[in-house]
Amino acid sequence: MTEREKKTRIFLRKWHRDIGYFIAGLTIIYSISGVAVNHIDDWNPSYTITKEMFKADTLSKEFWESENLGNIVMKHLKLEGELKDIFQESDEQIKLFFEGKEVDFNMATGELTIETTSGKPVLKEVNFLHLNKPKKVWTYVADVFAVLLIFLAGSGIFMVRGKNGIVGRGKWIVAAGILIPVIFWILYMN
Amino acid sequence: MKYLFGLAVILFTFSGVSFGQKGDNYGKGVTLTKKTKVSSIFTTPKNFVGKTVLVEGTIIDVCEKRGCWMEISGDKKGQKIKVKVDDGVIVFPVSKKGHKALVEGVVEELVYTKEELIEAEKHKAEEQGTKFDASTIKSGKTVYRIKGSGAKIF
Repeated sequence: MTEREKKTRIFLRKWHRDIGYFIAGLTIIYSISGVAVNHIDDWNPSYTITKEMFKADTLSKEFWESENLGNIVMKHLKLEGELKDIFQESDEQIKLFFEGKEVDFNMATGELTIETTSGKPVLKEVNFLHLNKPKKVWTYVADVFAVLLIFLAGSGIFMVRGKNGIVGRGKWIVAAGILIPVIFWILYMN
Repeated sequence: MKYLFGLAVILFTFSGVSFGQKGDNYGKGVTLTKKTKVSSIFTTPKNFVGKTVLVEGTIIDVCEKRGCWMEISGDKKGQKIKVKVDDGVIVFPVSKKGHKALVEGVVEELVYTKEELIEAEKHKAEEQGTKFDASTIKSGKTVYRIKGSGAKIF
């Protein structure tokens, strides 16, 4: 090994190690969120939505056109909280919105659905970043993170020499890793 | 290394400048200033199909899984319009139901046969975990919605 190769490997090892430490937190955040978002067909990765159905007393028709219908329904159903808005879908169907809660009430039949929405602990926060909700500065943080991951991949390939390095068994392992997406491209991309 | 730690501190400092503005922007945000009434779109839809509009209303419903659509109230009783966005490009949060929103996008016309409409409503009910009775749909219909490019949610 030449002196230049030796220096290069030392450089790669040093930076691979420090950047690995530096982005460990981000890698975990993106990985956890990646799994959660990957299964978006099966669940909402950030929020838990619960729906409870009840049968309440009906509300007399004389109130249905009232300007103050939201408050009347709140009182009728003994609901508490700050009413954000209402939406009267039809003469007898009304939705009341509270922070994190929606009340869907059929004034004619008394059918009542209360839907509550709450953030999933940890997942809501990691998805917030992974899906780039903050935008602006975070966009560049994520870009830098991606570049650093590419560096880790490259430095990881070249920093080990010998039979376990890229010229030894390493090349077969790298090839196997590349083959996985290639197989899926062949099978699923038309 | 010290400079990597320093970089993290700098990012933390500058990130604070970007947050805390009134209303959250989604997608490209809103660029138009003149608002169009939802009732106007439904009254003379042909005048609006293909045109970019800015509408305002309360968020009534949001796609529970992907956040890929939301419905916002119109200016007339019981009126609402669907705003559809490409999956993953904009994700409307389900937690924003009941919040006011400004939405910008192009008005689309979708012509559904009875079977297509049943399929679409069935899919929506499955996504939202609600009941759906196919017998309530007697014929196809033309639906007008907004292909959203951006929104501001308050």
